[in-house]
Amino acid sequence: MTISAERPIEVVTPSATPPAYGRSWTQRPGWMSQHLGTAIVAAILGYAIGHWFGNYLASGYSFVANSGQNSIADALALTFGVVGWLLGIGALNYPLAKLIGRDGAKEETVDNWTKYFRYSLDHKVVGLQYVVGVLLFMFTGGLLAMAIRTELLNPTTHVFSADTYIKIVSEHGTVMMMMATSIIVGPLGNYLVPLMIGARRMAFPRIEALSFWIFVAGYMVIFSALPYGGFPTGWTGYAPLQTQAGPGMISYLLGFAVIGIGMMAAGFNIAVSIINYRAPGMTWSRLPIFVWSILATAALLTLATPVLFAGGLFGVLDKTVQTAFYVTEHGGSSYLWQNLFWFFGHPEVYIMALPGFGIVGEILPVFTRKPLFAYKVAAAGMIGVALLSFFVWQHHLFQSGINPDMRPLFMLTTELISIPTGFIFLVGMGTLYKAKIRFEVPMLFAMALFFNFLIGGVTGVFLSDVPVNVTVHGGFFVLSHFHYTIMGGLLFAFMAGLYYWLPKMTGRMMNSRIGKWHFWTMFIFFNLTFFPMFIIGLLGQPRRVYTYAPRLQGLNDFSSISAFLLGVSFLIFFANLMWSMWISPVKAPANPWDSLGLEWQTANPVPSYNFERIPVIMTDPYRYSEADAPAFADMGDGAGRSSSTTAGSSQA
Amino acid sequence: MTDMIEKGKGPTSTPEEREFELRAQIGSIWSGGRLFIGMYTFLLASEVFSYFYLRSSNNGMLWRLPHQHAPIAYGWAVFIAMSLTALLAMYGQRQLKKGSVVDFQVAGWTGVTTGLIALIVQIWQLTKLSFFPGSSGYASTYMGFVVMNIASIVIGTYWLETTLARSLRLRKELGGENPELSMDPMAQLFRANVASMAYFWGFLAIGGVLFTAMFYVM
Repeated sequence: MTISAERPIEVVTPSATPPAYGRSWTQRPGWMSQHLGTAIVAAILGYAIGHWFGNYLASGYSFVANSGQNSIADALALTFGVVGWLLGIGALNYPLAKLIGRDGAKEETVDNWTKYFRYSLDHKVVGLQYVVGVLLFMFTGGLLAMAIRTELLNPTTHVFSADTYIKIVSEHGTVMMMMATSIIVGPLGNYLVPLMIGARRMAFPRIEALSFWIFVAGYMVIFSALPYGGFPTGWTGYAPLQTQAGPGMISYLLGFAVIGIGMMAAGFNIAVSIINYRAPGMTWSRLPIFVWSILATAALLTLATPVLFAGGLFGVLDKTVQTAFYVTEHGGSSYLWQNLFWFFGHPEVYIMALPGFGIVGEILPVFTRKPLFAYKVAAAGMIGVALLSFFVWQHHLFQSGINPDMRPLFMLTTELISIPTGFIFLVGMGTLYKAKIRFEVPMLFAMALFFNFLIGGVTGVFLSDVPVNVTVHGGFFVLSHFHYTIMGGLLFAFMAGLYYWLPKMTGRMMNSRIGKWHFWTMFIFFNLTFFPMFIIGLLGQPRRVYTYAPRLQGLNDFSSISAFLLGVSFLIFFANLMWSMWISPVKAPANPWDSLGLEWQTANPVPSYNFERIPVIMTDPYRYSEADAPAFADMGDGAGRSSSTTAGSSQA
Repeated sequence: MTDMIEKGKGPTSTPEEREFELRAQIGSIWSGGRLFIGMYTFLLASEVFSYFYLRSSNNGMLWRLPHQHAPIAYGWAVFIAMSLTALLAMYGQRQLKKGSVVDFQVAGWTGVTTGLIALIVQIWQLTKLSFFPGSSGYASTYMGFVVMNIASIVIGTYWLETTLARSLRLRKELGGENPELSMDPMAQLFRANVASMAYFWGFLAIGGVLFTAMFYVM
């Protein structure tokens, strides 16, 4: 069945009232409606009940009585807290209603600002909820980074104890990695994918909404580590330190497992939506490159995250029912954790990198008015990276639990992955070649990604070689490398995406002048913060240690001061966000960047059903350089959108 | 998608569009079911990997203590009950395809019962363990397996039960003799869901064979 460009005249209006089978118990009168407030109350109640239950169950056990620490109570408290949270927000209404055959179609919908504090089935609301969620994550993780750099100002005068310092480092790393995993898929993937593929909805809107609310729950669980005394393992949580750690470790393990469920849910829903909900005519070779990147990422999220979940589960079992998965002395193995963790952990690097490439792949043609160079190579590169990422995890064990004879194999696979990554990079360079570039804020961030990622990528090739890896392992060189790839790549791409798509998402333009201040301060101070760390690392400073050789103080101080100024650049961003969205909002034109993308062709603000008519895709998505290119899509209103028409509309 | 659109504010849709949406929904249930199995495979593979990793490492000669066995009778009982549930789910789906709704429902509810039996026995088995969870690598991975198996049974039985409950809802909402077999969109979605559910149970049964061999035979 296809929907032709020649539309039938007959239209059917949905019935004004839903079928009457009595009021669903999932519908609540106003005073009983479910929202963030009820979720918080239910989470607190769940936490208290779980704690009581855990004490009731296990307070008599000898290992609890002897240690004075009831890990079972801690784990049950957090688990019940998460369940309470989901019950309170309403995420479990439908699954429970299904048990008795009730229809979820009569769930309440709210059409005012309070919808952003509720369990919403609209992918655009979920996308915006994610924007706020990941920014909150980033802000708190950023504050912890400032604390780290403050401590490293002086090697002998300390702000924190060694113990507190490593706990701050651990919390910072964990929070930032979990944030980074969702920072593009969550906000931009959820908001934009249906619009870009011409769909009126996601395949599983409840799973999508669940992914967000469980993401928030995971954030709170990970943060609960601080009141529990933190965890001293860094974000990698290696055993045996993990086994020896206090109750904060439960928060880490459970937090990973909870956020893992959210990541799996998000990836699953997005992958199924892309496969099935593409508009007629949107063949695989017409799929926007951003959607390709999200599809590759969703596949990684769906398949790699269960391993993290299992690793976290085994860790929780070790801490609660006293299994010995990671306890070598009892028949377990601390290397087992490393294997499970990195089998997820390395694909995770590409979970973070690929959507960033997707964003810049989408932005470059718009601001160069050129087609995306070698589109199919870019798409193939993304799939290649996703596949190969499952075969490189052992390079994280070069220094620990790997048979030395296996090192060359994983060195080879790690170096191989730089080939499809290089393809994607060259696609960007090819698009920029001989282009007349419009240096708008999104384009500046997109171009910065190539600069930063080049440094991060090349140092990554160094690190894949066993001799270099053995030399610089566990030092600031590695730290700088992954900050260049993740922050320099992903975060710059996220900013590019926000500046580019916020006008569509909110109907308001971000202030360009403040945006440029934001860009230049962030770009300059990012490089001034992290580039010296390569040198610091080569000079021998180890990670996660609160002191260092006095001769490195100059470089560390330079890096710290730059980091504080980098923090200021984020304050500029938040100021711009406040200014442009609330204090002095400027209405965004329908298509401010003259994009051909389908997401810009819908009405503004986007109606809840996205498209009045399901569009029919007529051609390739990036025919910017052709003045008489055919319309990209038939929008069903009698006229398609071509480059010339969008250019005209944007001037309105 | 009625649940996503405010009353009276929904889009108008042509018959072609409605057909397109229905195909997309059915496709989502089909590919979602398969993708879910892929996801679950990686989860179970983590357990399998852990088992063989610890077995081959045999740290401190503590992979498995002498005469250390999980309760075999209970284990086989769980395996048989799960396999029976899977067979009933697949049989029910086949009968539904052939047009016998009653057979589907009888097989389904029997399957729910055997699923619940498997769940109860699996939990009860924990009270019959003759070893401490952390006494060896085997004991640890066994505990991991039990937790995952409980989750598998709960998910599978929930899915089976909710398809049966939906069948009852269809009767209420669509009326007629066998609404499950009609061409109404709800019935088509229902049948796609039953097919994915039966496929998932088949997957669990295959996984059950592997884990039974690992923990009760090897």
